[in-house]
Amino acid sequence: MAALKKIWRFLSSMQFAVILLVILAAACAGGSFIPQGLTLQEYASAYSERTASLIVALGLDDVFHCWWFIVLSVFLCGNLILCNLIRLPGLIKRTKRSGGKVILGEPTAAAEGVADPNQFFERFGITPKEEKDEDGRAVLYGDRHRAGIWGAWVCHLGVLLLILGFGLGQMTHREYTVYGVTGESLPVGDTGLVMTIDDFRVKLREDDTVSQYTAELTLTDTAKGLTESGTAEVNRPAELLGYRCYQNSTGWAAAVTVTKSGSFLQEEVLCAGEFLPVLDLPELVVLFNAFYPDYVLTDEGPATASGSIRNPGYLYSLYYLDPATEEEHMLGMNVLLSGEQITVDDYVITFSEPQNYTLIQIKKDRFTWLALLGGLIVLCGLVLALYLKPMRLSALREEDGTWTVKGECRKSAPIFREQFEKISGVTLPREQDSVLEQEKETER
Amino acid sequence: MTNAENVLFIAVMVIYLITMLLYFFFVIFKKTPLAKAAGGFQAAGLLIHTAALVLRGIAAGRLPMTNQYEFATCFAWGLCLVSLIFIVKFRFPVLGAFSAPVTFLIIGYAAMQSREIHELMPALQSNWLGVHVSTAVISYGSFGVSFVLSLIYLFREKAKEGGFWDTHIPAREKLDLISYRSVCLGLLFLTLTILTGAIWAERAWGSYWSWDPKETWSLVTWLIYAVYLHLRLRRNWKGKLAAIFAVAGFVCVIFTYIGVNTFLPGVHSYK
Repeated sequence: MAALKKIWRFLSSMQFAVILLVILAAACAGGSFIPQGLTLQEYASAYSERTASLIVALGLDDVFHCWWFIVLSVFLCGNLILCNLIRLPGLIKRTKRSGGKVILGEPTAAAEGVADPNQFFERFGITPKEEKDEDGRAVLYGDRHRAGIWGAWVCHLGVLLLILGFGLGQMTHREYTVYGVTGESLPVGDTGLVMTIDDFRVKLREDDTVSQYTAELTLTDTAKGLTESGTAEVNRPAELLGYRCYQNSTGWAAAVTVTKSGSFLQEEVLCAGEFLPVLDLPELVVLFNAFYPDYVLTDEGPATASGSIRNPGYLYSLYYLDPATEEEHMLGMNVLLSGEQITVDDYVITFSEPQNYTLIQIKKDRFTWLALLGGLIVLCGLVLALYLKPMRLSALREEDGTWTVKGECRKSAPIFREQFEKISGVTLPREQDSVLEQEKETER
Repeated sequence: MTNAENVLFIAVMVIYLITMLLYFFFVIFKKTPLAKAAGGFQAAGLLIHTAALVLRGIAAGRLPMTNQYEFATCFAWGLCLVSLIFIVKFRFPVLGAFSAPVTFLIIGYAAMQSREIHELMPALQSNWLGVHVSTAVISYGSFGVSFVLSLIYLFREKAKEGGFWDTHIPAREKLDLISYRSVCLGLLFLTLTILTGAIWAERAWGSYWSWDPKETWSLVTWLIYAVYLHLRLRRNWKGKLAAIFAVAGFVCVIFTYIGVNTFLPGVHSYK
């Protein structure tokens, strides 16, 4: 039982929280140095095979989603919940307490023989209340910034909501990507939705740099018969049928036409990176590698002189897939300029109509608001914890008609004491250079 | 870069150098007027620095906070501003002798970067950019001040009682408190930086948190300062150990700023 109590106390302690924060910080730092999401072979080629196995075994190839990182986060949440639950009754009690009539324990500063205690209250911006104590002596008291005691509690709550919102979002969010050129209608994963790219424009500046990418989109729910249209730009996603549609990236596409013995055989729009098997000879495959709108040949290979289509160049590769061995043989790789064509026996392949394709990200995360709320609460908590310094003053009228004033402000004791000294005109004893004392204590 | 901005930038570098030397002379010769002169130069430098940033903003047609040079010069500006506020508020000119070299180093780092003005890529064309980077400037500036205050704290141990350092540097308890306040300001603004960055990332990339190296290191910095605040609640952690921790925290800040942009690829790398 005693051991369980000990474990319980440790799990809810600040010490445990600090240990968790340090481990999480170290894990995050490690995760930023080790490339994430590579294969064992890729790690082996980057490091040694032994290191690669270690990285994969410890989950360091996906630090932020591996089991021990999640366990640490769960422990942190548990610690925050326990900490907040344990502190709640005390905080409610302290909030309900009427002012600071009696300052318990050692006050931060005190002055005796004060003629006018009101100057203290005025200086610290506290409106005093007046009462009589058991002996019939007048007591002035008041407090300020009491909400400051809730700072850490609110901050912990915010962190909890933030982790909760992020975690739930990670588990339940739905994300799809579609890419295509103007006029294409594309299925959105397994949702039954269809995304139509009504238009896609790339706005260039005079110096050929991109000013904005704009996609006009229509999302259709064929099952429910719902349709919604909107414009998606970088930094301005479109909200369609409850999904957020982001203009994510772009690239080049071109129409690839195949003729056989002078007769039209097929035409398809390929995005860079896509390939096309020839219709009646599927062993012959043309891969559209890249597009150079303003083609130039440099020492480092093909490049583009600008972003505008002035001298279009299509980098292609031609493959023959051997049906017997299933091996692929590269027949050739070259850059095709306007008016040029690829000829393989009776087949002629041409590239034309270069245009930008767009990649649209379609996303739904029902818990983003919770994470945002958590973040805002953390911010409020920090303001309360770091900038509202709860202080209390009490003044007791002595028999000789003078007052004894006591003040308490734990969060900003040295400054509070300095201000107290200024008002009272008395230098308070400096015996508690607490920092020095504490260090000596630590060294001991 | 416009000629006027270039002239102002060089003037700022020279003034920050003079400021640093004046603060050094103040602590060497122990003459208070030198501290006043240094403070005056620092304030003048800050004004001219502000003018240089405004001119660059006008020339670029946007806030000058989007590349390594612009952020470095803003970082130096933030550090200069926050340290000046702390010097005036706490009547603590010795702080200048420690913060001025750091400011000069950062502005020197800025001078080594490309100062060309480039048009912004679409993802950076957002109103969140100004809020996100401004809060980062204040945050980093505050952490910079807490770093120099912690150095002073550690240095003060060796000060002779009643000597120059003893009379011109606040008591250790107060130093610890000022450093703590500086961390508080930094942490508050770092939280704002992370929050505004997350909101912006959600609009631009569809994900408010994607473990980009800069995001991750901002979180690491946040966690380290959160640990600092928690440890200060333990009686025997105030003072020297907290000061060492604040120094380590600033090393982390510098890595978040320079190291991440230089060594770790991500949406914040300016390669």
